[in-house]
Amino acid sequence: MHESLLRELEISGDGDTDADGLFTVQKVACLGCCTLAPVLQIDGVTYGHLKPQDIGGVLRDFLALEKAAPAARKAPSRLAAPLGEIRVGLGSCCIAKGSGKVYEALVAAVEHLGASATVKRVGCVGICHQTPLVEVVVPGQPPVLYAQVTSQDAAALVKRHFRPPGTLRRLRHAAGSALEHLLTDEAWESVQRYAIDVRDEPIDAFLGRQEHLATEHCGLLDPLDLQEYVRLEGFAALGRALKEMTPEQVIAEVSASGLRGRGGAGFPTGRKWSLVRQASGQLKYAVCNGDEGDPGAFMDRMLLESYPFRVIEGMIIAAYAVGAGQGIFYIRAEYPLAVRRIEHALEICRREGYLGENILGSGFSLDLRIMQGAGAFICGEETALMESIEGRRGMPRLRPPYPAQSGLWGKPTLINNVETYALAPYILREGPGAFEALGTPKSKGTKVFALAGKAARGGLIEVPMGITLRQIVGEIGGGVGPGRTLKAVQVGGPSGGCVPAELVDTPVDYEALTAAGAIMGSGGLVVLDDRDCMVDIARYFLEFTQDQSCGKCTFCRVGTKRMLEILQRLCEGKGKAADLEELQSLAEVIQQGSLCALGRTAPNPVLSTLKYFRDEYLAHIAGRCPAGRCKTLITYRVTDDCIGCTLCAQVCPADAIAPRPYQKHEIDKEKCTRCDSCRGVCPVSAVVVE
Amino acid sequence: MPKVVIDNKEVQVSDGATLLQAAAQAGIAIPTLCYLDGCAPPTSCLVCVVAVKGQDRLLPACATVAQEGMVVGSQTPSVLAARRAALELLLSDHVGDCIAPCQSACPAHMDIPRMLRALAGGDDALAAAIAKEAIPLPAVLGRICPAPCEKACRRGAIDQPVPICLLKRFAGDWALGHKEDEPSAPPPTSGKKVAVVGAGPAGLTAAWYLRLSGHAITLFDRQEAPGGAMRQIPPDRLRAEVLSAEAGMILRQGVEYRPNSQITPADLADLATQFDAVLVATGQAGAADALIDPSAVDKSALRLAGGNIFAAGAVLGAHRLAVRALAQGRQVARSVDLYLRGQAILPAPRPFTCRMGHLTQEELKELLAQAEPCGAETPAGGTVPGGTGFQPVHGTGYKPVPPGNLEGFSVDQARRQARRCLHCDCRKADNCRLRDRAAELEAKPGRYTGQRRQLRLFRQVGGVVYEPGKCISCGLCVQITQEQSERLGLAFVGRGFSVRVAVPFEESISAGLAKTARRCVQACPTGALAEDNAPK
Repeated sequence: MHESLLRELEISGDGDTDADGLFTVQKVACLGCCTLAPVLQIDGVTYGHLKPQDIGGVLRDFLALEKAAPAARKAPSRLAAPLGEIRVGLGSCCIAKGSGKVYEALVAAVEHLGASATVKRVGCVGICHQTPLVEVVVPGQPPVLYAQVTSQDAAALVKRHFRPPGTLRRLRHAAGSALEHLLTDEAWESVQRYAIDVRDEPIDAFLGRQEHLATEHCGLLDPLDLQEYVRLEGFAALGRALKEMTPEQVIAEVSASGLRGRGGAGFPTGRKWSLVRQASGQLKYAVCNGDEGDPGAFMDRMLLESYPFRVIEGMIIAAYAVGAGQGIFYIRAEYPLAVRRIEHALEICRREGYLGENILGSGFSLDLRIMQGAGAFICGEETALMESIEGRRGMPRLRPPYPAQSGLWGKPTLINNVETYALAPYILREGPGAFEALGTPKSKGTKVFALAGKAARGGLIEVPMGITLRQIVGEIGGGVGPGRTLKAVQVGGPSGGCVPAELVDTPVDYEALTAAGAIMGSGGLVVLDDRDCMVDIARYFLEFTQDQSCGKCTFCRVGTKRMLEILQRLCEGKGKAADLEELQSLAEVIQQGSLCALGRTAPNPVLSTLKYFRDEYLAHIAGRCPAGRCKTLITYRVTDDCIGCTLCAQVCPADAIAPRPYQKHEIDKEKCTRCDSCRGVCPVSAVVVE
Repeated sequence: MPKVVIDNKEVQVSDGATLLQAAAQAGIAIPTLCYLDGCAPPTSCLVCVVAVKGQDRLLPACATVAQEGMVVGSQTPSVLAARRAALELLLSDHVGDCIAPCQSACPAHMDIPRMLRALAGGDDALAAAIAKEAIPLPAVLGRICPAPCEKACRRGAIDQPVPICLLKRFAGDWALGHKEDEPSAPPPTSGKKVAVVGAGPAGLTAAWYLRLSGHAITLFDRQEAPGGAMRQIPPDRLRAEVLSAEAGMILRQGVEYRPNSQITPADLADLATQFDAVLVATGQAGAADALIDPSAVDKSALRLAGGNIFAAGAVLGAHRLAVRALAQGRQVARSVDLYLRGQAILPAPRPFTCRMGHLTQEELKELLAQAEPCGAETPAGGTVPGGTGFQPVHGTGYKPVPPGNLEGFSVDQARRQARRCLHCDCRKADNCRLRDRAAELEAKPGRYTGQRRQLRLFRQVGGVVYEPGKCISCGLCVQITQEQSERLGLAFVGRGFSVRVAVPFEESISAGLAKTARRCVQACPTGALAEDNAPK
């Protein structure tokens, strides 16, 4: 994609900006929407599921978008009392797939047709692989969920469910209904657009195993509708905590629930709160760590975008429990929608008395503000995060002292992950027993995962602890693609490891995952099949951590670089037998000696693949890449099955295939960049990797 | 007042004391590199790591606060391995030679860059003294040495090597014309007497260094005049007067010279009883009348098994280079001296050095920026200040100079040619904590290899040089510039392996270190920030 983009913009050499000075191309680690990968963002617009040949269209689309003056939208007129709701998922991923346009088209259609319906923005539904998602809810009827809707479908969709008032209108719109194409086929795999009954099997499987605690009312809630949030028992937990409980009682309930930190390390939340509570000092801080940066993870973004009030409520409860008068949301600047929604939600909360002086008349005061992270992965590490908030370069400090004793500006500071805060209101509202009833002996409640990779159905899921990886991948994710076999599940991102297919019955449990060589991490779950090269996966993650290292300590700065160089050699077929031992010994010393968790966990992807997939490493030393991934070890070839359709030649971004209609095509090995585009489009599987 | 146990020693320390302080209190030295008293511990190098019981990781002793009941291991195998690995990883990304390649290549390890700086700065006396620290016969060697140093000279990759050998000759000739500046050996106060048999390059050199160590020396040679095999060199390469003059300088240091003395094996046995030690440096190896059997000599101590007889020079095997014989003369002098002091004769520790290896043209240009741009010159002859009378002498046997150029350098030439030196030796070779720790912990510079920093040089007007290639990214200087409220100061730039300390906004190092340059140089654990030593 990157190569195509540079080619399209005619940027050569070391340059990053096109000749007109219109576009500057930058590689970023993660835009947090893995299910849409490959993803490209231009200003605020995200484009997903791209192929190299789409680039030209994307750039034209963006320029057209820029030209079109923002049309002043009239407030939707209400011709009759609304009969129902049309809900449109509007998370970042959804918007990237066109949900914003669908929303506008629906608003226009409702107005134009005079339908008695409101079009409502809701948060992430989690079914990212089927966006744009539209749910139509008419009282007295079962709700209908439409997947992969386009703006052209809007009018038909509205007409189907909401009969226009008046015979004349009805007659005028009766003809030309395009409803048929929406309803002809309800099978999951074959068509692009269809209505889904929520109880349809695949959706049922996707949602059936889930338990929505942090993501309560998923698909129903307008992220910024406070009245609705309150109607759905929002801020009930806060009310109870502030009015009926002492801070100590709040902490006791959180402790009793067994909640552990969802940021990755799994420190018992109740104990952390209690440490901050007991730390001496008048001024204390509560910080929400929303600096999610692992490739493969976008749980925090979704929670912040779709459940801003929920996270805020959790933070207020926590601040009350620990005695913090100031709170800070630390959110990556790459999550503009999350920042806007939290900003907006904070304003509403201040206006409505949920924030500021004397909250809900309880005497407790708290102010919350947002601080945007500038895209450094290391700032997700709590001590580096604090340095960043204090205005310095994000570099970790040695712990102890822990933030609970000496945190922001030397004051006791509570730092919890977004998901941890989002769970607190549930515990306080339903009681610790309800939470504690879910999960394993040491891992309670639920965990939100970003399911990505080769699973048939990817998205955001919230599952009870104790569920096995097999259930997640097989039942929720629908397994790997046809003809493919599951090879491993990468859990925990760059700090985690690969759990091999034979250990796929490992339950989601902090200790069990660690024993399997992975970590719970913040919730990235990448499914890998037989076409994924484990050496390349290890190289990829280490490249990420090496690039994101703050560079402070020797082992992380230089040690991971030396490991990466070995992996790069292996992927190029230049490895030596001694390299594996060297990797192992470097990994051990980096794990032991690094200053912070980023460095200490950086070798994990390498160690777990070395342990479970040593044969693949040995194959690379022998000059083979069994999965056919490592570019210098493979070549593409067209077999005699070629029917001469020229599709491959059309998509080849490197002009390595000359179009020869009705003749067998050939790939110029010198020009071929092994981007795999041709293999993907060949209708007769005549492109093979060797 | 927590009590901790370090390496099985219990020690009670004050509240807030670090494990490093606790260890010091218990008399246990923990090596540190980036730690500096008076600065907040950077916890960057991680050379000071220790193992704390109950922790699955190692902790930097410099910043870990001692807590009641901590059990600490400062010498466990994993601690030692991690410390060494930290140093070896740092060295794999350290672009610098502790010792310049010319000096490494010189069998006598003469400090060539320092001598060149002295010559370039016009201090010929200092240049001569530096030369004689390693080579007591610089005027002679300056005429006959095939100059392995020049083959290693980095300037050769740009145009031609610095003509080190001719410049050494210049320094040596200057010394011969300035007897008043001759070094004077101390009186023979050690009470020990040494007989040296053979006044060739090895014998003369050993006599010189043993005299400097305060021993009484008697030098025997079968010839009338000292010089040994060097006397056989044709006069068009080395005139006898030069050899006599320089050997005379050695003899004048109170060495008793016994010419025309043919020593037989029986004489040798006598000498061994009359003298505290005897050195056989008779030159010819394997001759029928050889005094010793080379195979009986311990090649490290250069001593005959069990006795007080030592050997050096060509007697131990053919030496094609006078400079090698001379180097061995210095080595044996050290052995004899240790023996006379009753100390064990251990091999001299080889100074630690890391090597930056091949440099790109771009990197060489960085080094060239301050050097004289002209190429090598044909020696024009002339008179060294003070006049030795030897200047017109023909013949140096010096190959890189085209044949027919038999003169020495004129004064102007010598200054100019000395200024061609790239000064690729380290400005803080004697004051580098990375080098010291690497030597102590026996870190191997080539243990890890891979991409490394670029050699860059930034010079500050006030006389400080910043070499990011030698930086270990500890950030002490960043801390100091912040504390002293430098307007710009220094900052970390970039991420991952390519993180660098730099002046913000790509401003000059002069702007970044307006008032803290000296303090930063003192704090910098390596040669990354150093006083500029380039000759004015």
